[in-house]
Amino acid sequence: MEALVPGLVAIGKGLAYGLAAIGPGIGIGVVAGKAVEAMARQPEMAGRLQTTMFIGVAFTEALALLGFVLTFLL
Amino acid sequence: MNPMDLLPMRIEELVHELSVLPFNDLHGTVTSPLTLTNYTFWGLIALVTTILFFTLVATKQRQRIAAAEASGKATDLAPTGRLTGMLEAGVEFVRDMAVDVIGPKDGPKYVAFLCTIFFMILISNMYGLIPGAKSFAGSIGGTVALALVVWVVFVFVGFKKNGAFGYMKSLIPEGVRKMPLAARIGLGGFIFLLEFISTFLVRPLTQSVRLFANMYAGHVILGVFGSFVWLFVPIIKMQAEQSFSVGGAGIGLLAMVFLIIMYAFEVFVAFIQAYVFTILTAVYIQSSVHASEH
Repeated sequence: MEALVPGLVAIGKGLAYGLAAIGPGIGIGVVAGKAVEAMARQPEMAGRLQTTMFIGVAFTEALALLGFVLTFLL
Repeated sequence: MNPMDLLPMRIEELVHELSVLPFNDLHGTVTSPLTLTNYTFWGLIALVTTILFFTLVATKQRQRIAAAEASGKATDLAPTGRLTGMLEAGVEFVRDMAVDVIGPKDGPKYVAFLCTIFFMILISNMYGLIPGAKSFAGSIGGTVALALVVWVVFVFVGFKKNGAFGYMKSLIPEGVRKMPLAARIGLGGFIFLLEFISTFLVRPLTQSVRLFANMYAGHVILGVFGSFVWLFVPIIKMQAEQSFSVGGAGIGLLAMVFLIIMYAFEVFVAFIQAYVFTILTAVYIQSSVHASEH
Protein backbone atom coordinates (compact mmCIF):
# COMPACT_ATOMS: atom_id res chain seq x y z
CA MET A 1 0.00 0.00 0.00
CA GLU A 2 2.79 2.39 0.99
CA ALA A 3 4.41 2.03 -2.41
CA LEU A 4 1.20 3.17 -4.10
CA VAL A 5 1.15 6.58 -2.45
CA PRO A 6 3.64 8.49 -4.66
CA GLY A 7 1.95 7.14 -7.78
CA LEU A 8 -1.49 8.16 -6.53
CA VAL A 9 -0.16 11.62 -5.66
CA ALA A 10 1.23 11.95 -9.18
CA ILE A 11 -2.12 10.93 -10.67
CA GLY A 12 -3.87 13.41 -8.38
CA LYS A 13 -1.55 16.21 -9.50
CA GLY A 14 -2.20 15.46 -13.14
CA LEU A 15 -5.96 15.29 -12.57
CA ALA A 16 -6.01 18.47 -10.48
CA TYR A 17 -4.42 20.60 -13.14
CA GLY A 18 -6.17 18.87 -16.02
CA LEU A 19 -9.62 19.33 -14.49
CA ALA A 20 -8.87 22.90 -13.42
CA ALA A 21 -7.94 23.76 -17.00
CA ILE A 22 -11.19 22.55 -18.60
CA GLY A 23 -13.49 25.36 -17.47
CA PRO A 24 -11.12 28.26 -18.08
CA GLY A 25 -10.19 26.69 -21.42
CA ILE A 26 -13.79 26.84 -22.58
CA GLY A 27 -14.18 30.28 -21.00
CA ILE A 28 -11.17 31.79 -22.74
CA GLY A 29 -12.36 30.28 -26.01
CA VAL A 30 -15.72 31.99 -25.60
CA VAL A 31 -14.11 35.31 -24.62
CA ALA A 32 -11.67 35.34 -27.55
CA GLY A 33 -14.29 34.12 -30.02
CA LYS A 34 -16.78 36.81 -29.02
CA ALA A 35 -14.04 39.44 -29.12
CA VAL A 36 -13.15 38.47 -32.69
CA GLU A 37 -16.84 38.55 -33.60
CA ALA A 38 -17.19 42.03 -32.13
CA MET A 39 -14.03 43.24 -33.88
CA ALA A 40 -15.32 41.96 -37.20
CA ARG A 41 -18.60 43.81 -36.70
CA GLN A 42 -16.94 47.04 -35.62
CA PRO A 43 -13.26 47.20 -36.61
CA GLU A 44 -12.88 50.78 -35.35
CA MET A 45 -13.45 49.51 -31.78
CA ALA A 46 -10.71 46.86 -32.09
CA GLY A 47 -8.28 48.61 -29.71
CA ARG A 48 -10.71 48.99 -26.82
CA LEU A 49 -12.15 45.51 -27.39
CA GLN A 50 -8.69 44.00 -27.26
CA THR A 51 -7.98 45.64 -23.89
CA THR A 52 -11.27 44.41 -22.48
CA MET A 53 -10.66 40.96 -23.93
CA PHE A 54 -7.28 40.68 -22.21
CA ILE A 55 -8.80 41.72 -18.90
CA GLY A 56 -11.54 39.12 -19.32
CA VAL A 57 -9.04 36.45 -20.28
CA ALA A 58 -6.90 37.32 -17.25
CA PHE A 59 -9.84 36.91 -14.86
CA THR A 60 -10.92 33.64 -16.45
CA GLU A 61 -7.37 32.33 -16.42
CA ALA A 62 -7.17 32.92 -12.65
CA LEU A 63 -9.15 29.71 -12.06
CA ALA A 64 -6.71 27.60 -14.05
CA LEU A 65 -3.85 29.23 -12.19
CA LEU A 66 -5.36 28.29 -8.85
CA GLY A 67 -5.35 24.70 -10.12
CA PHE A 68 -1.73 25.10 -11.16
CA VAL A 69 -0.78 26.27 -7.66
CA LEU A 70 -2.73 23.37 -6.17
CA THR A 71 -0.68 20.98 -8.30
CA PHE A 72 2.48 22.19 -6.57
CA LEU A 73 0.87 22.08 -3.15
CA LEU A 74 -0.31 18.46 -3.46
CA MET B 1 22.15 1.13 -26.96
CA ASN B 2 19.43 3.50 -25.85
CA PRO B 3 20.02 6.86 -27.55
CA MET B 4 18.59 8.59 -24.49
CA ASP B 5 21.74 7.62 -22.57
CA LEU B 6 23.71 9.82 -24.93
CA LEU B 7 21.86 12.96 -23.88
CA PRO B 8 24.27 15.45 -22.32
CA MET B 9 22.08 15.71 -19.25
CA ARG B 10 19.24 13.59 -17.95
CA ILE B 11 15.84 15.12 -18.71
CA GLU B 12 14.92 15.36 -15.02
CA GLU B 13 18.15 17.15 -14.24
CA LEU B 14 17.62 19.45 -17.18
CA VAL B 15 14.07 20.28 -16.13
CA HIS B 16 15.29 20.84 -12.59
CA GLU B 17 18.06 23.08 -13.86
CA LEU B 18 15.50 25.09 -15.80
CA SER B 19 12.98 25.30 -13.02
CA VAL B 20 15.20 26.11 -10.03
CA LEU B 21 12.73 27.42 -7.52
CA PRO B 22 13.60 30.46 -5.45
CA PHE B 23 15.71 29.27 -2.58
CA ASN B 24 16.75 25.96 -3.95
CA ASP B 25 19.23 25.13 -6.68
CA LEU B 26 20.50 22.00 -8.37
CA HIS B 27 23.59 21.51 -6.23
CA GLY B 28 22.02 22.57 -2.95
CA THR B 29 24.48 25.40 -2.44
CA VAL B 30 21.79 27.99 -1.79
CA THR B 31 21.24 28.10 1.95
CA SER B 32 19.82 31.55 2.58
CA PRO B 33 17.08 33.56 0.85
CA LEU B 34 19.62 36.33 0.25
CA THR B 35 21.95 34.21 -1.88
CA LEU B 36 22.54 35.43 -5.41
CA THR B 37 20.88 32.79 -7.62
CA ASN B 38 20.91 32.68 -11.41
CA TYR B 39 17.52 34.34 -11.42
CA THR B 40 18.40 37.26 -9.16
CA PHE B 41 21.64 37.77 -11.08
CA TRP B 42 19.87 38.01 -14.45
CA GLY B 43 17.13 40.08 -12.85
CA LEU B 44 19.77 42.59 -11.79
CA ILE B 45 21.27 42.55 -15.29
CA ALA B 46 17.82 43.25 -16.76
CA LEU B 47 17.35 46.09 -14.27
CA VAL B 48 20.71 47.63 -15.20
CA THR B 49 19.87 47.31 -18.91
CA THR B 50 16.51 49.01 -18.40
CA ILE B 51 18.06 51.87 -16.45
CA LEU B 52 20.89 52.21 -18.99
CA PHE B 53 18.52 52.36 -22.00
CA PHE B 54 16.31 55.00 -20.46
CA THR B 55 19.17 57.12 -19.07
CA LEU B 56 20.87 57.04 -22.46
CA VAL B 57 17.75 58.15 -24.32
CA ALA B 58 16.84 60.78 -21.72
CA THR B 59 20.33 62.29 -21.81
CA LYS B 60 20.25 62.42 -25.59
CA GLN B 61 16.86 64.07 -25.56
CA ARG B 62 17.99 66.66 -22.99
CA GLN B 63 20.90 67.55 -25.25
CA ARG B 64 18.46 67.96 -28.13
CA ILE B 65 16.25 70.27 -26.07
CA ALA B 66 19.30 72.35 -25.16
CA ALA B 67 20.37 72.46 -28.82
CA ALA B 68 16.85 73.48 -29.91
CA GLU B 69 16.81 76.30 -27.36
CA ALA B 70 20.19 77.48 -28.60
CA SER B 71 19.26 77.41 -32.30
CA GLY B 72 15.61 78.38 -31.82
CA LYS B 73 14.45 75.80 -34.36
CA ALA B 74 11.64 73.48 -33.27
CA THR B 75 12.74 70.78 -35.74
CA ASP B 76 15.80 70.10 -33.59
CA LEU B 77 13.48 68.74 -30.88
CA ALA B 78 12.35 65.76 -32.95
CA PRO B 79 13.78 62.56 -31.47
CA THR B 80 15.92 60.46 -33.80
CA GLY B 81 17.73 57.15 -33.53
CA ARG B 82 16.64 53.54 -33.31
CA LEU B 83 16.77 53.12 -29.53
CA THR B 84 14.84 56.33 -28.93
CA GLY B 85 12.20 55.31 -31.44
CA MET B 86 11.88 51.86 -29.92
CA LEU B 87 11.52 53.10 -26.34
CA GLU B 88 9.20 55.90 -27.39
CA ALA B 89 6.87 53.42 -29.07
CA GLY B 90 6.86 51.34 -25.88
CA VAL B 91 6.27 54.28 -23.58
CA GLU B 92 3.47 55.59 -25.79
CA PHE B 93 1.90 52.13 -25.81
CA VAL B 94 1.91 52.03 -22.00
CA ARG B 95 0.69 55.64 -21.76
CA ASP B 96 -2.27 54.97 -24.07
CA MET B 97 -3.08 51.88 -22.05
CA ALA B 98 -2.96 53.81 -18.75
CA VAL B 99 -5.20 56.59 -20.12
CA ASP B 100 -7.56 54.00 -21.59
CA VAL B 101 -7.90 51.94 -18.41
CA ILE B 102 -7.40 54.36 -15.50
CA GLY B 103 -8.91 57.40 -17.16
CA PRO B 104 -7.64 60.62 -18.76
CA LYS B 105 -7.39 62.47 -15.42
CA ASP B 106 -5.64 59.92 -13.18
CA GLY B 107 -3.98 57.82 -15.88
CA PRO B 108 -0.89 59.92 -16.62
CA LYS B 109 0.12 59.87 -12.93
CA TYR B 110 0.78 56.14 -13.04
CA VAL B 111 2.53 55.97 -16.43
CA ALA B 112 6.00 55.99 -14.83
CA PHE B 113 5.17 53.08 -12.55
CA LEU B 114 3.48 51.07 -15.32
CA CYS B 115 6.44 51.72 -17.66
CA THR B 116 8.86 50.45 -15.02
CA ILE B 117 6.86 47.24 -14.63
CA PHE B 118 6.39 46.76 -18.38
CA PHE B 119 9.99 47.31 -19.46
CA MET B 120 11.43 45.40 -16.52
CA ILE B 121 9.35 42.31 -17.36
CA LEU B 122 9.80 42.64 -21.11
CA ILE B 123 13.58 43.03 -21.00
CA SER B 124 14.08 40.25 -18.48
CA ASN B 125 11.80 37.95 -20.51
CA MET B 126 13.93 38.74 -23.54
CA TYR B 127 17.04 37.84 -21.56
CA GLY B 128 15.37 34.55 -20.71
CA LEU B 129 15.37 33.64 -24.41
CA ILE B 130 19.15 33.83 -24.67
CA PRO B 131 20.53 30.33 -24.10
CA GLY B 132 22.34 30.28 -20.76
CA ALA B 133 20.71 33.45 -19.49
CA LYS B 134 17.58 33.33 -17.35
CA SER B 135 14.50 35.45 -16.98
CA PHE B 136 13.87 36.37 -13.38
CA ALA B 137 10.17 35.91 -14.15
CA GLY B 138 11.01 32.20 -14.54
CA SER B 139 11.20 31.80 -10.77
CA ILE B 140 8.23 32.25 -8.47
CA GLY B 141 10.35 34.43 -6.14
CA GLY B 142 10.85 37.10 -8.79
CA THR B 143 7.21 37.30 -9.83
CA VAL B 144 5.96 37.32 -6.23
CA ALA B 145 8.25 40.29 -5.54
CA LEU B 146 6.77 42.14 -8.53
CA ALA B 147 3.19 41.26 -7.58
CA LEU B 148 3.79 42.42 -4.00
CA VAL B 149 5.04 45.79 -5.25
CA VAL B 150 1.86 46.10 -7.31
CA TRP B 151 -0.21 45.03 -4.29
CA VAL B 152 1.37 47.69 -2.08
CA VAL B 153 0.77 50.34 -4.75
CA PHE B 154 -2.92 49.60 -5.37
CA VAL B 155 -3.75 49.19 -1.68
CA PHE B 156 -1.92 52.44 -0.87
CA VAL B 157 -3.73 54.30 -3.67
CA GLY B 158 -7.08 52.89 -2.48
CA PHE B 159 -6.49 53.97 1.11
CA LYS B 160 -5.22 57.40 0.08
CA LYS B 161 -8.11 58.13 -2.28
CA ASN B 162 -11.00 56.76 -0.21
CA GLY B 163 -9.74 56.46 3.34
CA ALA B 164 -9.44 53.10 5.10
CA PHE B 165 -13.15 52.84 5.89
CA GLY B 166 -14.30 54.10 2.48
CA TYR B 167 -12.05 51.62 0.68
CA MET B 168 -13.35 48.70 2.72
CA LYS B 169 -16.94 49.89 2.25
CA SER B 170 -16.47 50.11 -1.51
CA LEU B 171 -15.88 46.34 -1.63
CA ILE B 172 -19.65 45.92 -1.06
CA PRO B 173 -21.67 46.92 -4.14
CA GLU B 174 -23.84 50.05 -4.06
CA GLY B 175 -27.12 48.12 -4.40
CA VAL B 176 -26.49 45.91 -1.38
CA ARG B 177 -25.70 48.95 0.80
CA LYS B 178 -29.23 50.31 0.18
CA MET B 179 -31.04 47.11 1.20
CA PRO B 180 -32.86 46.60 4.53
CA LEU B 181 -30.67 46.10 7.59
CA ALA B 182 -30.93 42.30 7.82
CA ALA B 183 -29.99 41.83 4.15
CA ARG B 184 -27.24 44.41 4.48
CA ILE B 185 -25.60 42.46 7.31
CA GLY B 186 -26.16 38.98 5.86
CA LEU B 187 -25.56 39.49 2.15
CA GLY B 188 -23.21 42.44 2.64
CA GLY B 189 -21.05 40.47 5.04
CA PHE B 190 -20.87 37.52 2.68
CA ILE B 191 -19.99 39.68 -0.33
CA PHE B 192 -17.46 41.58 1.75
CA LEU B 193 -15.75 38.32 2.69
CA LEU B 194 -15.61 37.14 -0.93
CA GLU B 195 -14.44 40.51 -2.23
CA PHE B 196 -11.86 40.83 0.52
CA ILE B 197 -10.34 37.45 -0.38
CA SER B 198 -10.42 38.12 -4.12
CA THR B 199 -8.98 41.62 -3.79
CA PHE B 200 -6.26 41.21 -1.21
CA LEU B 201 -5.29 37.55 -1.51
CA VAL B 202 -6.20 36.19 -4.94
CA ARG B 203 -4.99 39.21 -6.94
CA PRO B 204 -1.28 39.02 -6.04
CA LEU B 205 -1.43 35.21 -6.16
CA THR B 206 -2.84 34.98 -9.69
CA GLN B 207 -0.75 37.86 -10.99
CA SER B 208 2.51 36.30 -9.83
CA VAL B 209 1.58 32.74 -10.75
CA ARG B 210 0.38 33.75 -14.24
CA LEU B 211 3.70 35.32 -15.17
CA PHE B 212 5.73 32.58 -13.51
CA ALA B 213 3.73 29.71 -15.02
CA ASN B 214 3.94 31.11 -18.54
CA MET B 215 7.68 31.75 -18.44
CA TYR B 216 8.44 28.49 -16.61
CA ALA B 217 6.39 26.40 -19.01
CA GLY B 218 8.09 28.11 -21.95
CA HIS B 219 11.56 27.43 -20.55
CA VAL B 220 10.77 23.80 -19.86
CA ILE B 221 9.35 23.26 -23.35
CA LEU B 222 12.37 24.90 -24.98
CA GLY B 223 14.67 22.88 -22.73
CA VAL B 224 12.99 19.56 -23.53
CA PHE B 225 12.98 20.17 -27.30
CA GLY B 226 16.53 21.44 -27.06
CA SER B 227 17.63 18.25 -25.36
CA PHE B 228 15.91 16.17 -28.07
CA VAL B 229 17.91 17.98 -30.74
CA TRP B 230 20.98 16.48 -29.12
CA LEU B 231 19.74 13.05 -30.26
CA PHE B 232 20.78 14.05 -33.75
CA VAL B 233 24.42 14.67 -32.90
CA PRO B 234 25.42 11.25 -31.51
CA ILE B 235 23.62 9.71 -34.52
CA ILE B 236 26.20 11.31 -36.79
CA LYS B 237 28.92 9.75 -34.68
CA MET B 238 27.21 6.35 -34.77
CA GLN B 239 26.94 6.55 -38.54
CA ALA B 240 30.71 6.31 -38.76
CA GLU B 241 30.51 3.20 -36.58
CA GLN B 242 28.01 1.60 -39.01
CA SER B 243 25.11 1.70 -36.54
CA PHE B 244 22.77 4.35 -37.81
CA SER B 245 19.33 4.93 -36.34
CA VAL B 246 17.02 6.83 -38.66
CA GLY B 247 14.42 7.10 -35.91
CA GLY B 248 16.70 9.04 -33.59
CA ALA B 249 17.84 11.36 -36.35
CA GLY B 250 14.22 11.92 -37.41
CA ILE B 251 13.21 12.83 -33.87
CA GLY B 252 16.23 15.14 -33.64
CA LEU B 253 15.30 16.96 -36.85
CA LEU B 254 11.63 17.19 -35.89
CA ALA B 255 12.57 18.55 -32.47
CA MET B 256 14.77 21.15 -34.16
CA VAL B 257 11.86 22.36 -36.28
CA PHE B 258 9.59 22.45 -33.22
CA LEU B 259 12.28 24.26 -31.26
CA ILE B 260 12.41 27.06 -33.83
CA ILE B 261 8.61 27.36 -33.88
CA MET B 262 8.38 27.33 -30.08
CA TYR B 263 11.18 29.89 -29.84
CA ALA B 264 9.25 32.30 -32.07
CA PHE B 265 6.17 31.62 -29.95
CA GLU B 266 8.14 32.36 -26.76
CA VAL B 267 9.16 35.77 -28.13
CA PHE B 268 5.44 36.46 -28.58
CA VAL B 269 4.68 35.16 -25.07
CA ALA B 270 7.37 37.44 -23.59
CA PHE B 271 5.54 40.45 -25.05
CA ILE B 272 2.05 39.23 -24.18
CA GLN B 273 2.92 38.42 -20.57
CA ALA B 274 4.56 41.81 -20.01
CA TYR B 275 1.45 43.41 -21.52
CA VAL B 276 -0.98 41.34 -19.44
CA PHE B 277 0.91 42.00 -16.21
CA THR B 278 0.94 45.74 -16.91
CA ILE B 279 -2.70 45.94 -17.93
CA LEU B 280 -3.75 44.04 -14.80
CA THR B 281 -1.71 46.47 -12.70
CA ALA B 282 -3.55 49.30 -14.43
CA VAL B 283 -6.93 47.62 -13.80
CA TYR B 284 -6.13 47.12 -10.10
CA ILE B 285 -5.04 50.74 -9.73
CA GLN B 286 -8.18 51.84 -11.56
CA SER B 287 -10.38 49.82 -9.18
CA SER B 288 -8.67 51.57 -6.25
CA VAL B 289 -8.84 55.05 -7.75
CA HIS B 290 -12.52 54.80 -8.66
CA ALA B 291 -13.49 52.62 -5.68
CA SER B 292 -16.16 55.02 -4.46
CA GLU B 293 -17.99 54.84 -7.80
CA HIS B 294 -18.83 51.14 -7.61
